[in-house]
Amino acid sequence: MSTTLQFYRAGDSWVHRLNPVTKLAFVAAVTIAAFGVERLWWPAALFLLLEVPGAVIAGVAGRFVRMVLGFFAPFLVILFLLQGLTYPEPGTVLLHLGPLEVKTEGLVFAGTTALRLLVMVAAFVLLLLTTHPGTLMSAMQQAGLPPKIAYVVSATLQIIPSFQARANAIMQAQQARGLEVRAGGAAARVRRLLPLMGPLLLGALTDVENRSIAMESRAFGRPVRPTAYTVVPDSAAQRAARWAMLALAVLVIVLNTLGVFS
Amino acid sequence: MIRFRDFTYAYPTGEAPVLHGVDLEVRPGRFHGLVGASGSGKSTLAMAAAGFIPHAQGGESTGEVTVGDLVVADTPLPDLVTRVGLVQQDPFDQISGARFTVREEIAFGCENLGVERGEMVRRVDEVMERLRIAPLADRSPYELSGGQQQVVAVASMLVMRPEVLVLDEPTSQLDPAGSRMVVEALAAVRATGMTVLLVEHGLELLAEHADELHVIADGRIVAEGPPADILTDPRLDAWGIGRTRFTAAAAEARRDGLWPRSRPLPATLDGAAAGFRAAANGELE
Ligand SMILES: Nc1ncnc2c1ncn2[C@@H]1O[C@H](COP(=O)(O)OP(=O)(O)OP(=O)(O)O)[C@@H](O)[C@H]1O
Ligand SMILES: [Mg+2]
Repeated sequence: MSTTLQFYRAGDSWVHRLNPVTKLAFVAAVTIAAFGVERLWWPAALFLLLEVPGAVIAGVAGRFVRMVLGFFAPFLVILFLLQGLTYPEPGTVLLHLGPLEVKTEGLVFAGTTALRLLVMVAAFVLLLLTTHPGTLMSAMQQAGLPPKIAYVVSATLQIIPSFQARANAIMQAQQARGLEVRAGGAAARVRRLLPLMGPLLLGALTDVENRSIAMESRAFGRPVRPTAYTVVPDSAAQRAARWAMLALAVLVIVLNTLGVFS
Repeated sequence: MIRFRDFTYAYPTGEAPVLHGVDLEVRPGRFHGLVGASGSGKSTLAMAAAGFIPHAQGGESTGEVTVGDLVVADTPLPDLVTRVGLVQQDPFDQISGARFTVREEIAFGCENLGVERGEMVRRVDEVMERLRIAPLADRSPYELSGGQQQVVAVASMLVMRPEVLVLDEPTSQLDPAGSRMVVEALAAVRATGMTVLLVEHGLELLAEHADELHVIADGRIVAEGPPADILTDPRLDAWGIGRTRFTAAAAEARRDGLWPRSRPLPATLDGAAAGFRAAANGELE
């Protein structure tokens, strides 16, 4: 059904069963750690030694690699073009491309930045692949995320796909009445599709009104502390692990400033 | 329980009033039905009973609507929603979007009321059982058919146990068996003391289960009383409501002299069967 929910792969691995907040803490810790050390090998090690094994344990390795590359390839190209070719500091020039100089330092810098981003993106992908968005939102609310913010996120994830479905329905209705949606050049197409926006937006507006009525009927936003139907399992060990991961990330920064990695 | 006193209402965008001098009483613990043609003002009346008119919709009104001892116009919505629940006409708009499974969607109202978890789990299970949606419990509410979404919308309000439940055509997308199941469930909650006001096109179901019917035509309440009287009223066609199959069949038989002359026209299967049985036994007076 929805594109946003399609990320999630149901499973029963150890990674799947972790409390989503623990996985979020991992995303934060591994990202901090990756940016904490300016060495090319360091983010690569985090990716290969922590994230890839995580994906393998979760049984989502294939999808993990495809999604990470899908997200990442365009970034990588832009990064190398910008940073590799326009590195401003002096350095060893590897080759001349017209007015541009490719420097070793520029390539190393681009590579390190790329790998750091890779660590961050991969951690997120691993979280999304192994966590149902509903569980994620429940766990975050359990951890103190305000219900209104949780609602905005959950509703966006679920309502946008249904909005697309409505746009398709309106389009089909127009096609059924003989409107040629696909023929002609881009400008002609836009001109023909413009009238379709009316019904779509109008529908969205009355939706908002009815939906807010529905939310009020369900006592949303009353000054009562809400209780929770779904309780996402958590444990003292996981709570400890979350703090430990963040502490390790900070330790990495400290060690780096002390020169341990140089 | 709900009381309209000479209530007249116009939407902010419309010049002419949509409800005219409505007087109506929904009595505690009873099952009331509201019938009327398309555009006669049923949804408007339902919204006014639940306080969303005037609180959410605005508009001009005179007269008064009260729920229990509360004057609706003077009571903030959050205080009203614990007393009156509203199931709206369009099921899709009522899926909150806040939860990802049917059982969590149903529990959502109880969460916001702060119902203790054990109690909430019991209530959710009970209402899913009663409305026969337990098999849908772990599906996404967005992946359901319109009819299934309607049942979930009814369940989501029932589970909150308001004193009065107002439902605006909650069976419009259901098949006959589904409609019957929902109306029977609503009739059954009377036993818990809940008051029900149901907007419904299924006259035969209302004939069977409602304690009292109100007829609305062009924004005016034109008749009210026991279903057996209302549904056999000769003005029914003029009000744009139509008749039950049982009333129509008996009326034809009477024209041909095949219906006991002193017997009123029936609105239920049982009434029709008794009449035809009597006629077959030669009791035509
Ligand atoms: N938001 C609105 N703004 C202005 N006029 C409205 C609005 N909603 C309904 N109306 C008008 O009020 C009148 C009564 O509408 P209402 O929706 O209450 O009828 P209904 O009996 O529920 O009809 P249906 O059986 O089709 O649901 C109609 O003439 C309608 O055009
Ligand atoms: Mg209506």
